[in-house]
Amino acid sequence: MSNSAVEHHEPEWEVSPWPLIISVGILFLLPFSFALYFVYDQPMLSVISLGIGTPLIVVSIIGWVKGSYADIAHHGKEPGYGLGAMPFFILAEAFIFIAFFGAYWVLRLTAPEWPPAGTPHMASTTPILMTIVLVASSFTIHFGEMALAKDDKKGLLFWLIITIVLGSIFFGLSAVEWKHLIHSGFSFDTNLFSTFFFSITGFHGSHVLVGLSAFLCVLFPLLAGRVSHTFVKSVSVYWHFVDIIWFFVVSQIYFW
Amino acid sequence: MSGKKGFGTTLKEWIFTTDHKRVGILYLIGSFAAFAVAGVIALIIRMELSTPGADITDPNTYNVMLYFHGAAMILGFQIPALTGFLANYLLPLQIGAKDVAFPRLNALSLWLFWMGIVLALLTFVIPNPPDIMWTGYPPYSIVSPGNTAFYTFTVLIMGFASIAGGVNLLTTIIYMRAPGMRWFKLNMFVWCTAAAFIIQLVFVPVLGSAVTMLSFDKYLGTHFFDPSAGGDVLLYQNLFWFYSHPAVYVILLPMLGIMFDVIATFARNRIFNYKVAVLGGVGGIVLMSGEVWVHHLYTSGMPDWIRIGMMVSTILISIPVGICVISMVGTLYRGAIQYKTPMLYAVGFIFLFLIGGLTGIPHAVAALDLHLQDTHFVVAHFHYVMAVSGTFAVIGGTYYLFPKMSGKMCNEGLGKIGFALTFIGSNLTFFTMFLVGLDGMPRRYFDYSHMPELASLHQIITYGAFILGLGVLVTFINWIHALIWGKKAVDNPWGSKSLEWTTTSPPGPGNWAEVPDCTNFDPYAYGED
Repeated sequence: MSNSAVEHHEPEWEVSPWPLIISVGILFLLPFSFALYFVYDQPMLSVISLGIGTPLIVVSIIGWVKGSYADIAHHGKEPGYGLGAMPFFILAEAFIFIAFFGAYWVLRLTAPEWPPAGTPHMASTTPILMTIVLVASSFTIHFGEMALAKDDKKGLLFWLIITIVLGSIFFGLSAVEWKHLIHSGFSFDTNLFSTFFFSITGFHGSHVLVGLSAFLCVLFPLLAGRVSHTFVKSVSVYWHFVDIIWFFVVSQIYFW
Repeated sequence: MSGKKGFGTTLKEWIFTTDHKRVGILYLIGSFAAFAVAGVIALIIRMELSTPGADITDPNTYNVMLYFHGAAMILGFQIPALTGFLANYLLPLQIGAKDVAFPRLNALSLWLFWMGIVLALLTFVIPNPPDIMWTGYPPYSIVSPGNTAFYTFTVLIMGFASIAGGVNLLTTIIYMRAPGMRWFKLNMFVWCTAAAFIIQLVFVPVLGSAVTMLSFDKYLGTHFFDPSAGGDVLLYQNLFWFYSHPAVYVILLPMLGIMFDVIATFARNRIFNYKVAVLGGVGGIVLMSGEVWVHHLYTSGMPDWIRIGMMVSTILISIPVGICVISMVGTLYRGAIQYKTPMLYAVGFIFLFLIGGLTGIPHAVAALDLHLQDTHFVVAHFHYVMAVSGTFAVIGGTYYLFPKMSGKMCNEGLGKIGFALTFIGSNLTFFTMFLVGLDGMPRRYFDYSHMPELASLHQIITYGAFILGLGVLVTFINWIHALIWGKKAVDNPWGSKSLEWTTTSPPGPGNWAEVPDCTNFDPYAYGED
């Protein structure tokens, strides 16, 4: 379509290759590799598909984040819509968990016996430890945010690294617990409780992982001296949301 | 077409674009591609059903075609065409924004939607394609040899695209309105799509969770829907319809919105009862959309008190929908109506939507629905209320926006022929389907040798479907013809008062040279000059 008649506008159409590349990456990473492995029994092709998808996504995320920071540097100020969008995003995220918890409550409250046969005794030390770590990380990222409000980039860096470490410890504890349970014969397909235990803690864990990745997208530009106030605030809101969901997980799955 | 730029640059500017207008047009192309393929599949289904017995396909292929037709039409055509193409193209123009809040995220939504289309189209080349309808009910979807994973991921990818689009455009509406653009000066289309996006944000994740559980059950051995281990098959149906009934309103609301704007423009009239339509109609639909889903499960087994409660709420939701239709018809009243092609589609839309809405009432009544459930009557009802109404809204909306998008005018004569064919074809097909359904023809059946007396009616339906297909073909030809040989369009060919017509046709990057001042603006200020 011709744009010769619009010379009085900004002359250039804005472009970014990353959305298209990341979409192709997602196509290979998720549907293709999953279907090749589980439906068509082709583990080798599945790994190849993962190998195509993952670098496409990683490269796109790096390019995208770089582009965003370059935009901020170019325009001098941030439009700051990110924080305004977070409530809508979190609303949608919350409903993923509402669906899983809703299913859990319905099936648990109509079950003839609970816990169903085959459920081992769960040690309560790990979830308590995980709760402490995750709540602490919510505080540390808030301290980081407060440091940034005073334009103290070093303070932000300090608290951000502590938050990333705490988040990784949480994730590690979760992984060790999963490994231990699966090793003791309590796996995805054991019974109804294992179904919900692994899917809900797994979904929560995936959110922790997304949060950690987002922190890395703050960390690397910060090491180069660049920072986006909106992005830090948005990631922080997301992290608090992940923390709040954890209270539901720990109270409904571990201590009920 | 651009004089100085080479083809490579133009191509790069299109596929890497983050501009909301180009993203919208790419949504349009993708959704009409899905529509065309799913439409051809529908014609094959109709050819199979035109006589009793097996004719041109086999039962398994037939199931795969039903899956593809449903999934592609709803997830690949209706939702992206209405909330992707129309909302992306029109909404920032109507609120006076230079672009959406997150242009790159917008492009991501677009390309994820295209990947969803690719996944859906792969149905025809992969071994063991999904054969589980677009509903994917367990236990069949779990025991079937078909590829349930592709179904799950099609829904997840398109769902993520919807959520990202919803977050993006809601943020745009709230933070990027032009100065002076107050809430009650917004076009009906803006209100309607905003409402649709709120519904999407709440309900799409639930569908995502449901189909994820489905694949977990099938491939990881979990027990969500496995009664032998304490799971519940009905849980899936509830989660699925908890999204999929509101999805009807996700489709309906932008449809109403674009038709409101077309009607106001061509009737040269204010929206009748604007505030009542916004608060009572659109707001009422949003508030009630999540409380009616169980009417899809009247025959699935439930206590009577739930049936009666859901029957009441289902009948109640016809009130806000009715308010919107009254506003539409009221806008026509004493208007200076011009029957240009988009307006013909709008009037056709009202007619088809009324038939669809009124035949919904027997379905809401549990006692009648027990008889009608899973017959062709249901098929006819939802094709009237969302399929052909939605198609009319999308085609009418595309005709309406065509001069703005391309800078070219469509041929009115071809447009009217296309309208007549689609209108006659739709009614011939789907009204006859009501009769077949009342006679007891079950839906999803491959063969009806046990009721050969329905063959003549089925033949009429098949003829109707081909007339409908011909109408759509004429419409496509008209658009392609106009793109190449169409007359040049002026900035405001329809004489609309709406903000999108104040910029050039087609608008350049950034939409306006400077942000429009909307202090004295009113999108429906007809009859004042």
